[in-house]
Amino acid sequence: MNTALPALAIALVLLGSTSQGADTAYTGAACQAPMDTAFVEDVWGKVASQECLKCHKAGGDAEDSDFVLRDPSKVLGEARDEAMRHNRAAFIKMARASEGDQSRLLLKAQGKLKHKGKAVLKPDSAGYRILADFVKRVTAPTKPVEVAEDKNAPPFFDGIVMLDDRRLLRRATLSLAGRLPTDDELKLIQHDGLKAMPAMLDAVLKEDAFYDRLREGFNDIFLTLGIDGNADATVLAYEHFEKSRLWYQKEKFDEIADPKEKQQAKYRIAREYREALLGEPMKLIEHIVRNDRPFTELVTADYIMMTPYTSRGYGMFDQIKDRFKDVKDPFEYIPVRLTALKGRSRQTDQESASGFYPHAGILSTFQWLTRYPTTETNRNRLRARMYYQHFLGVDVLELAARVTDAAAVTAKCKVPTMEASECVVCHKTLDPVASLFQDYWVFADKGVYGRRKGGWFEDMFQAGFEGDDMPAAERWRSLQWLGERTAKDPRFAVAMVEHAYYILTGRKVLLPPKDLDDPIYNAKRRAYAEQRKQTEAIATRFAKNGFNFKAVLKDWVMSDFYRADAVASVAANPARRTELDDLGLAHMLSPEQLDRKIEAVFGEGWRKLHNGDGGLAMLYGGIDSKEVTERATDPSGAMGAIMRTMANDVACKNAARDFERPNDERLLFRNMEPDVVPGSMETDAKIKHTIAHLHERVLGRIDSEDSAEVARTFRLFTGILDEAKQKRREEQENYSCRPDPDHVRVADPHYTIRAWRAVLTYLLRRQEFLYE
Amino acid sequence: MNDKRRDFLKLCSLAGLGIAAPRTSRAETKETPPYAGPFYVVFNASGGWDTTYLMDPKGVDGINRLYQEGDILTQGAHKFAPTDKKKDGGMSNEEFYKDFGSELLVFNGLDYSVNNHSPGARYMATGKLDSLACPTFAALVAACKGPACPLSFLTFGNYSNTGNLVAMSRVPYLPSLKKVALADHLEGNERSPYHEDFVLDRIEQTLAEAHDATLQQPRLPRLERAENMLYAAQVNSKALQRVVPFIPKSIPKERMAQQAEIALASFAAGVCVSANLTIGQFDSHANNDRDQMKLIPEFLQGITYFIRRAEELKLRDKLVVIVQSEMGRTPTYNGGNGKDHWSIGSVMFLGPGIKGNRVIGATDAKQFARTVNPQTLALDDKGIRVRPEHVHESLRQFAGIDQHALAKKFPLGVKAPEMLKGFWG
Repeated sequence: MNTALPALAIALVLLGSTSQGADTAYTGAACQAPMDTAFVEDVWGKVASQECLKCHKAGGDAEDSDFVLRDPSKVLGEARDEAMRHNRAAFIKMARASEGDQSRLLLKAQGKLKHKGKAVLKPDSAGYRILADFVKRVTAPTKPVEVAEDKNAPPFFDGIVMLDDRRLLRRATLSLAGRLPTDDELKLIQHDGLKAMPAMLDAVLKEDAFYDRLREGFNDIFLTLGIDGNADATVLAYEHFEKSRLWYQKEKFDEIADPKEKQQAKYRIAREYREALLGEPMKLIEHIVRNDRPFTELVTADYIMMTPYTSRGYGMFDQIKDRFKDVKDPFEYIPVRLTALKGRSRQTDQESASGFYPHAGILSTFQWLTRYPTTETNRNRLRARMYYQHFLGVDVLELAARVTDAAAVTAKCKVPTMEASECVVCHKTLDPVASLFQDYWVFADKGVYGRRKGGWFEDMFQAGFEGDDMPAAERWRSLQWLGERTAKDPRFAVAMVEHAYYILTGRKVLLPPKDLDDPIYNAKRRAYAEQRKQTEAIATRFAKNGFNFKAVLKDWVMSDFYRADAVASVAANPARRTELDDLGLAHMLSPEQLDRKIEAVFGEGWRKLHNGDGGLAMLYGGIDSKEVTERATDPSGAMGAIMRTMANDVACKNAARDFERPNDERLLFRNMEPDVVPGSMETDAKIKHTIAHLHERVLGRIDSEDSAEVARTFRLFTGILDEAKQKRREEQENYSCRPDPDHVRVADPHYTIRAWRAVLTYLLRRQEFLYE
Repeated sequence: MNDKRRDFLKLCSLAGLGIAAPRTSRAETKETPPYAGPFYVVFNASGGWDTTYLMDPKGVDGINRLYQEGDILTQGAHKFAPTDKKKDGGMSNEEFYKDFGSELLVFNGLDYSVNNHSPGARYMATGKLDSLACPTFAALVAACKGPACPLSFLTFGNYSNTGNLVAMSRVPYLPSLKKVALADHLEGNERSPYHEDFVLDRIEQTLAEAHDATLQQPRLPRLERAENMLYAAQVNSKALQRVVPFIPKSIPKERMAQQAEIALASFAAGVCVSANLTIGQFDSHANNDRDQMKLIPEFLQGITYFIRRAEELKLRDKLVVIVQSEMGRTPTYNGGNGKDHWSIGSVMFLGPGIKGNRVIGATDAKQFARTVNPQTLALDDKGIRVRPEHVHESLRQFAGIDQHALAKKFPLGVKAPEMLKGFWG
């Protein structure tokens, strides 16, 4: 998530332009008036966007000063260039104004001249030096402007080897649909190369498995599955759904005679109902993407998703039952507009000019609001913070400003969040959004909707968004008002592109480096800038093409960032190595992804990597969406142990089983039999052929049969057989590795089944299998 | 050495070359001997504790409703709030100070600089407010002292960033430990190996050869790092079987005691260097005294449980204990009998090499931080505001990792004159 979106975005748009005289503010169109790249890159990118813009903007704490800047991240195209020209002109004016023999710009930055923001830069800091250089340049206009970019730098992807097309296809189908590529797809990619990918991806993105992955990926971000308690009680409030939310308790199941069975049926219906309720927000995302609807509906959709079960909970089943294909399917979701909430007394009825609940996509769902509840003192600020993080990609607490004496500030002001500049800098942005949630003022376990007795707080900034006040008439639909603005905010598109990156790679996009004194700052910044350029390019296309989220996923898959796989030679230059530090997918599979991959390769999942009873998901770095919300990205020793268990167990279950299948149904050992032992050219070749097949199926490696990799695996296989022969082992496979529980112990006179099982164990422990 | 060469090496160091992602060959990743200590445990009171109900008592100006200034108790150099008659379960301050006062070092008047949970937790855990990359002390010390331990850095919550130096381990339940300890045996049954020993040896040998071959090829730094971490995780995981004898037969009910047993079993087996233990709900906006009188005693009881069990396991003399929270609570009550966020607080230490029965720093009567002379540690109006980076710099020195290449990769920026001299006594 990025708190300082604007700076580099502009820098990137304008990089490559030549600079013009530093003494002249730009007036023409962007194409006619190239930008001062030194200003864009250094003054704006490294200092002003980080320090000055917080207050010196419309709606900011210093909006009444003579030095008001514009936030380029909130506009696109020419307006963005214009904002930067405005900012540069403002800086030049301030730099040239002097107090005594010093520039006011530098004095203010040091906290002098009654600067309300106090000292923001120390005179010995790199940031100060950048401003000082700028002052020097603009007060000596004849001096040529230095251009910040390094013209000698090679292209960023110079020397980077991209994943070959077949492996890219495998990566994409496994990642997005949890399956291996089909033979037809492989033929097509071999024949047509990369240009065949977009059409194939279009097909992949229509598969049901993709939507499972989509929901799982977005839950990693929104965490709405992490609601405490039973969803029928926490998501649906007693106040508004008293008569309907526990509908399942009235189900008799008279058709079931056996009491135990009847009880199980009751448990099941309750479980499925709750699961369906929790699933609604992610199903909304699925609905938008599946139907190619604009992804802005994430914050503007005027409906929620209901199933036959959940609609009963909302008390709407009778009105919509004809729209379901199967009213007994607990998980058939359809879009529905919820009628305005009716309270137990008229005072608690929801005000609604339309007669409907004012839906605003995910933002107004009971699940999102319950997952991020408010308290008396929090005043919806958690929701405001999560709003910024989820929908605009801004983490307002990411890098909180240091306050000289926060305790003193808190004590000296009656309302620090409105009076103390140290607090106002964030709260002026955060609190208006928090106030937009003012009518969702019911605390934990009691629901979400309800107005505060005595009216909303007056000692906080009132409802609005980024400087615009919400008109009073819009209060009943305040979240829709917010959603409409969110959809138009350029940061929304960027945030969604960042979410897509997270879903595909398991990590967040790079943040801009902060430490200007870091000797490898420039290398870090270039890495960030290149990735940012890609993000923005995809976001621009996303916005231009009607916010189709599938296009974003396709763009990322086709990008150099997703395809980068190796380097032609070791980067000897440490700066270059830093630039490449984050490049390459190298994503350790999550428990869910690993299980899907096992299923794709072996035809059946391991089924031990789930959450809950006996499951190993949490130990394998998974999340519970409640307290553990970040997936592990590197393997611990405990995870290393689980990898070993998994490899042992999956190999145990599948080696003998595959040999038992008819030859043309085998996944692993086609045209191979347990009596084929090494020793002749023919059998050695046959074994190597099988090994090459296993390398491709399990690892996704395309190794020739005479490659070193195949030779290594061959040595493992033959070495085991040789040693087994010398040791005269028993002639049966391990009892526990029977194809199924009813099967007798499998004969293995040559030890080959066990040797093949060892080969599988070895392959399952490799990075190529455990990572994507 | 010429300047260019020096610069190159400096850049290598900063870029993490040979540090964060060392090329680990087979020989280097054989199962390591048990880590023998010291063991570092960070107890975290998540949500922001009320220090005036523990180590920084006030009892004046309505700061505390449960006692007055005259009720404040002492134990040696320590002053503490009386809680014996007010607590809701757990352990009173009186009992805690009686047991540990002579060993306890307290710092009062710590300036967290911010009063939001997220940055506060980050700052207290790492010593760096303005970095999302900096590792927590627990992760850093694990990376410096025992990177090959299979559960080198164990965490049960709180801010746990590793700086990509070491893998973070989450072991939520005691039975989970058993599950992973015997990974090469069916259902963890020692008598049912999946493979015969000679087969397993050959698998390991082939994996090692493949790993070495991989490292011979030029790779992207990220892929190389992943390969190294994966290989090390699998090889080192074998050491987990050493944990089995230390897993208790019965599982304690208390939430901190459960965390304690997992951490202690891992320490005792020599597979862990540091652990973050945490309990939450200290954010007492709604009813401060009720909440704090339930949670502080529970917290102290958990710490005591840990130390007592460490004694039984003969780990006590190797145990370094850090007790902290991400913020304090205001000196005034809000309208709901709660207390809001306060950017001044305290931290406590205990362990070998730490001189106890000492209190450094202070807050004034209104709970503002007093400045401290970093050379003498005495209160001094011309001194400095002690912040988490000062404490962390001292911690790094205490652990002997301040000059370690990994620590230098994440400098805290404390200038020499501001370093706390003689902090540990």
